[in-house]
Amino acid sequence: MATLSLRQTEKTYENGFKALHGINLEIADGELAVLVGPSGCGKSTLLRMIAGLETITGGEIMIGDTVVNKIAPADRDIAMVFQNYALYPHMTNYANMAYGLKNRGYSKAEIDARVREAAAILQLNDHLDRKPRQLSGGQRQRVAMGRAIVREPKVFLFDEPLSNLDAKLRVDMRLEIKNLQQRLGTTSVYVTHDQVEAMTLADRLIVMNGGVAEQVGSPIEIYEKPATLFVAGFIGSPSMNFLPGRVADDRSHAMFSDGTCLALDHDVEAGRDVIVGIRPEHFTLQQDGNGPLKAKVRMVESLGAETLVYLDFGIIGENVTLRLQGTHQFARDQELTLSTIANQLHLFDRETGKRI
Amino acid sequence: MYQSKLRIITNHLILILGSAFMIAPVWIALASSTHTREYLFQNGLQMWFGGHFLENYGAILFDPAATKGRVTALEMLFNSMVLGLGFAIGKVVISMMAAYAIVYFRFKLAVPLFWVIFATLLLPLEVRIVPSYEVVSSLGLLNTYTGLILPLIASATGTFFFRQFYRSVPDELLEAARLDGAGPLRFFVDILVPLSVTMIAAIFIIMFVVGWNQYLWPLLMTTDDQLYTIVIGIKQVYNSLYEGGQIPQFPKAFALTIMATIPPVLVVVIFQRMFIKGLVETEK
Repeated sequence: MATLSLRQTEKTYENGFKALHGINLEIADGELAVLVGPSGCGKSTLLRMIAGLETITGGEIMIGDTVVNKIAPADRDIAMVFQNYALYPHMTNYANMAYGLKNRGYSKAEIDARVREAAAILQLNDHLDRKPRQLSGGQRQRVAMGRAIVREPKVFLFDEPLSNLDAKLRVDMRLEIKNLQQRLGTTSVYVTHDQVEAMTLADRLIVMNGGVAEQVGSPIEIYEKPATLFVAGFIGSPSMNFLPGRVADDRSHAMFSDGTCLALDHDVEAGRDVIVGIRPEHFTLQQDGNGPLKAKVRMVESLGAETLVYLDFGIIGENVTLRLQGTHQFARDQELTLSTIANQLHLFDRETGKRI
Repeated sequence: MYQSKLRIITNHLILILGSAFMIAPVWIALASSTHTREYLFQNGLQMWFGGHFLENYGAILFDPAATKGRVTALEMLFNSMVLGLGFAIGKVVISMMAAYAIVYFRFKLAVPLFWVIFATLLLPLEVRIVPSYEVVSSLGLLNTYTGLILPLIASATGTFFFRQFYRSVPDELLEAARLDGAGPLRFFVDILVPLSVTMIAAIFIIMFVVGWNQYLWPLLMTTDDQLYTIVIGIKQVYNSLYEGGQIPQFPKAFALTIMATIPPVLVVVIFQRMFIKGLVETEK
């Protein structure tokens, strides 16, 4: 059990490319931290630096009270689960799990006890004598997790462990990982590009973009108060709608180029150029035609429990998503009237992209 | 799939003719090796067995006089086996280790060194045979197994094959092994070697046959006929056919030829099963 601290951690590659620009993070004991971001944002690099597979070129990483910058991966007391499982194909699943312990000089009895225990937790008892290729993807990933569990490390590292699984299995395994992590209470870092996975798993979410941690917080905090346009657009599916506008002179409305006004509840100076962010579920459909926003239906996707409507707001925005509960029938080019609630709107500065 | 009878017959006819064409020389050698030398001398090559199988083969295997030297075919077979195995095992081990160094260790000269090794393909033994002989003789290794094998076991082809194979092994395996506390040697022995079994078998087959069939180098190296390999032995027996005004020992030369072909054939047959098994059960 241990905390994990990153202090101004930087990564500059030999060719001069700077992948990480000083990351500061404090991950508490037993916490599950999720690094999420688009590909190339540096999240995997950061994880591999914690693991010791990449060198740290600036700042430091601490596990517990120890600075691990110069410590070899095997001696950092961490265990990692890889995206493609990285199981040794010629060894049985038992040997795969036991290999790390064997190299560390544990006794046979101790190894056996630990492997059997991990196998029981992961329901792998019947598969221990088989080889990885005889297992399904989900089972292989369990073996990979078993290999991590038997080590009883201070920190678990997960590198997109579910990306190779099909959708149904991914949901099951997600729950399983969450359960397992809570049961073992081991500090964990989990990397994913899937924001649903990130939202559901994280005790603490770190949204990364371009080598910078854009926002750190609980998933709900980040969903409700995204700090930047990037975070707002990345977290939430379908993603937030952005409408460029300007704060009206009375400071209580946002005005758009076609004269439409939306009521605001923000402390903001008049005349400022802003981007108004509206989540798809925060529009209200006005059946009586009384509302500030008029839009044309472009396309409808019925998902059963909810309906996604793609709208054309004319010159304000041509691609706006509306999410409605239940099923709805709309004709193409049908006119809809929508309204919004002031305190559900997000305002961002148009220049800096920062939340207002 | 539907195939007409005519087509099946044609296909088989072609295959049978082809096989017969390939096997015929071996068959003639085998059949001719079972006659007396007088009979063969009078009647030419034979298509069917005579009654002197045991007599001819026994003489060749156990009687030094039959091979016109101080060494029997059995001893020559042993020499060839040492050369073939030493050659094949040496090549596999050396090229695996060279490829391991080139692929997994980032030292500055890795790439140029690889190309230097690769360029040695342009310098087969025949090109460097005089300097090689000079080196071996000044090391005092003439007429030794070491001298016979050592100059031949560096293998650019093997290194290249293993390099390509190692590069296809996912990096995560190395990383997982590092996290599991395996050092470079452990990773090589515990992970890489078992993964390479099919490659090893393939290269072993090829190299064993090449080593077994070495002619020029052993001929140059060995002045002591205790070290003659069977391939050289055939040549010796054949040479002695024209000496001393006796009736040539054709049956014994044929017998020696047949015996020289058996071990490589066995190796190919045995290892090919493993080879195909490895190919079918792809480990990924």
